[in-house]
Amino acid sequence: MRLVVLRFPSHLALAVSLLLPVHAAAQSGGDFSYNPDAQKLPTNVILVKGAWSSASDSSTPIPESGKVAESAYHNDYFGLTYTLHSGWIEKYTGPPPSDSGYYVLAQLRPADTSKDATRGSVLIAAHDLFFTPAPASNAPELINYAQSHLQADYKVERPPTEIRVAGHSFVRFDYGSPVAELHWSVLATQIRCHVLEFVFTSRDSKLVENLVQDLEQMKLPVEPGATPGASAGDLPVCIKDYAADENVVERVDPVFTERRYNSIPVRIIIDRDGRVKHIHFLSAFPEQAKAITDALLQWRFRPYLRDGQPVEVETGLWFGQMPRRAAAPKAGAVSE
Amino acid sequence: MNAVKRCSVFTSLLFLFFAGSAFAQSDPGVRGGAAGAGQPLPSVAANTPITILDFFNDGLGRFSEVDSVSGTIEAGLGLGPRFNSRSCAFCHAQPAVGGTSPFTNPQVSDASADGARNTIPSFVTANGPVREARFPFFFNSNGSPNTNAPNGGVEDLFTITGRSDAGACSLPQPSFALAQSTNNIIFRIPTPTFGAGLIENIDDSTLLANQNAQAGNGLGISGTFNHNGNDGTISRFGWKAQNKSLLIFAGEAYNVEQGVSNEAFTQERPLPGEDQTTGLPANCRINGTPEDHTNFNTTALGTSSDVVGFAMFMRLLNQPTPSTTTPGGAASISRGRSLFSAIGCATCHTPSLTTASSSLTASLNGATANLFSDVEIHHMGTGLADNVSQGGAGGDQFRTSPLWGLGQRIFFLHDGRTSNLLAAIEAHEGNGSEATQVELNFNSLSPSQQQDLLNFLRSL
Repeated sequence: MRLVVLRFPSHLALAVSLLLPVHAAAQSGGDFSYNPDAQKLPTNVILVKGAWSSASDSSTPIPESGKVAESAYHNDYFGLTYTLHSGWIEKYTGPPPSDSGYYVLAQLRPADTSKDATRGSVLIAAHDLFFTPAPASNAPELINYAQSHLQADYKVERPPTEIRVAGHSFVRFDYGSPVAELHWSVLATQIRCHVLEFVFTSRDSKLVENLVQDLEQMKLPVEPGATPGASAGDLPVCIKDYAADENVVERVDPVFTERRYNSIPVRIIIDRDGRVKHIHFLSAFPEQAKAITDALLQWRFRPYLRDGQPVEVETGLWFGQMPRRAAAPKAGAVSE
Repeated sequence: MNAVKRCSVFTSLLFLFFAGSAFAQSDPGVRGGAAGAGQPLPSVAANTPITILDFFNDGLGRFSEVDSVSGTIEAGLGLGPRFNSRSCAFCHAQPAVGGTSPFTNPQVSDASADGARNTIPSFVTANGPVREARFPFFFNSNGSPNTNAPNGGVEDLFTITGRSDAGACSLPQPSFALAQSTNNIIFRIPTPTFGAGLIENIDDSTLLANQNAQAGNGLGISGTFNHNGNDGTISRFGWKAQNKSLLIFAGEAYNVEQGVSNEAFTQERPLPGEDQTTGLPANCRINGTPEDHTNFNTTALGTSSDVVGFAMFMRLLNQPTPSTTTPGGAASISRGRSLFSAIGCATCHTPSLTTASSSLTASLNGATANLFSDVEIHHMGTGLADNVSQGGAGGDQFRTSPLWGLGQRIFFLHDGRTSNLLAAIEAHEGNGSEATQVELNFNSLSPSQQQDLLNFLRSL
C-alpha cells in the first residue's frame, strides 16, 4: 500500500505532462454536447439486472423478503424471527436467489465497534428442495451431501446429528479447518420444502457455541406432523412436482420472444379451485417472467384434497433450459 | 537522559515498530524474474504434431503485428476507423505477449501515432491500465443517461482522423467527459490469454459436475453459467464469459479493439450510437471488407486469416508456471495454498479442471488446467457492478477470473481499479456479492496467515 502512495505523485505528474500537449492540440467532440445540467446516474446501484427474482404480487411473502430490523432478522415466508447476537449487524445484504434455488437470507457480523469485531459471522441461507442441484430431499440428506463434499483438509468436529432447537428438529454438523484455525457449525431444518440453514463461523469455538445457544430464542412456525401433505397452520401444502401429469388439467405454454438458455425456477401457489394465485420467479429475465405469468394464469390444476377438502398447494416447476444434474434420490414427493 | 540512553530507547522503539509491522500483511507486488508465461504448450514446443510449432509462431507474429489503415505505414491492414489500440500485443503484453496490461500504457502513443489527432481521456494514463470504455446507457438528447435505453457496447477511445493514411475521414471521439460527469461509463482491461486453449477444451459436463459439487457450500455462493446464444452451450471467454470460442473472441477483439473487419465480424464497426443512426460515413470506410480474410493467393501458413492465427496462438499458449519459492518461500506459499481452499476462495476459484480429449495436440488432451476458476458467472454486488449485460450475465455478474499468472499481473479487477492485491480481495465483499462470507473468513485470518495467502497468490 505504501508503495502505491509513494509512486502515485510521480505517475500523476507524468500523466499530466503527457496529457497537456494533447489536450491543447485537440478539442473533444463526440456524440453529445457537454451539458452541465445532465442528470447523474446513482453509484453503487445495480441498474441493469440480468435474470433476477420477482413475484406476481407484493403481498404474498417470498423467501428473500426477510429483513433485519430492531436487532432481529424477520422472515414472514418462513415465519422466522432470529434475534441478532448483541452488537451484531447486517453490513451487507446477500445476492439475489440463484437459479439453482439457493438463497442468502442474511449475513450477520459484529459491528466494527463490537468487542467481537472480526471474530465470526452468521449466514442464514435456504435451499429450495424443488430446485437444489444436491441429490437431497430433506435436511439430513442435504447436510450429508455437504459432508461428503467437504475438502480433505477439513476436520469433522461433530458428525451430522439430529437435535431439537426452539421446538424444531434440526441437523447439526460441525467442522473445522486446522490450517485456518476456523470452526463452522451448521444447523439445518426444513420449512415449506426448503432447508433453512444457519452457518456459524469463527476462530473462537466458544463464540460458535454461544451463537448456537442463541438459536433457542428464535421463533419458528409450529412444526407439521409426520402426515404427508400436512402443513403448519394455514400455509399451503408444499408438494414437489405437483404441476405435472394428470394434476394439470389445462396447460398453455409461454411464448418467449427471445431465445435464451438459462434455467427458470418458478414457485407457484395453486388455490383451492385449481388456479394459480401466486407466482414467484427465483431467477428470470423480465420478458421471461411476463411470458410465463401470462401462460400460468391460464393453467388449471386438479385441486389437492386433504381429508376430502381442497387445500392450497405450493409447488415448483422449471421453465427454460432444464439444468443438467446428478440424479436425485427416489424419495417421492417432498411434502410437509 | 544521556545520549546513550536516548539511543537505546530509540532503538527499542524502532525494534517494536518493525516487529509490529512485520506482521502487517501486504501485497508482495508483481513477482520479478523471468516471465512465467508466454511459451507454447509442451507438445507444441516439441512440434507434435509436425508443423504445429510453425502455426504457433505464425500466430505469435500476427498477434504482434501493428496495424495501420492502409497496411503501408505499418504492415497490418485495416486499423479503424475507430480503435482502442493498434496491435493485440500492445495490450496483451504483461508479462509476455498474450498477457495483459503492461506497465507503460500503449494507448497514450496510439492516440497520436502517424498523425492521429485524438484527445486522451483522463482515465487513460501513461502508467495506468490499458482500458476500453463502455457507456451502460445511451444518452437522451439533453445529455442525461437514459436508463430505459441500455447500451453497454464498447465506445472506442480513438479515431483515425488526422492520420496520414486516413484520407478525408473525420470522426469525433465519444464524449467521455460527459460520460464521466454523469457516471455513465465503465472500464474493462485486457484479459490474459495464457492457457486459453485449455479453458476452451474443458467439456461442459466437467463444468457442470464441478458446479454440482459445490452445491452444499455454507458460504453463500451459487453461481451460474453464461451460454452462447447460438447453440446454448457454456460460453467462457471475456470478463462475463460472453464469448464461446477463441475464434469468436479473436474476431470480436480485432473488430472492436483495432477496428479491423474480419470473417467473424464482417463490417467496419461504428459506435453503438452511430449504429442506431447513420452508421459510419463512406469516407471512413476506406478498405474493402472484410479487411482480414482467408488469403487465396498464398499457400500453407499464409492462407489463414489473422483471426484464425490469433486464435491458434492463444489456443497453443501454455498455462503460466507458478513459482514454488517466490515470494515468501516455499513454506509460506504452501500454507497460503491451504488457506486459499480452507476459507472458501477455491469454491469459485476452482484450482484445476481436466480438459476433454483433443484433436489438436497432446498437451490439450486430458490435461490438468490449473486455472483457479469455475468459469461460472457470479453476482459480485454493487461495488463491482458495471451495469453492462452480456449474454445471460447481468450488470453485477462476472466470470470467476482465472488466477493463473496472477503473480505477474499489474492491474486487478475488470476495470483495473487497483494494483494492490489486498484491495482487490477486499473488493469482493459488498451488497449483493456472493463472496462476502469468504471475505469475512479472510478477515478472520491472522496477519501472518493473510500474508501466506497473498504470497501464494503472487506465486501463481
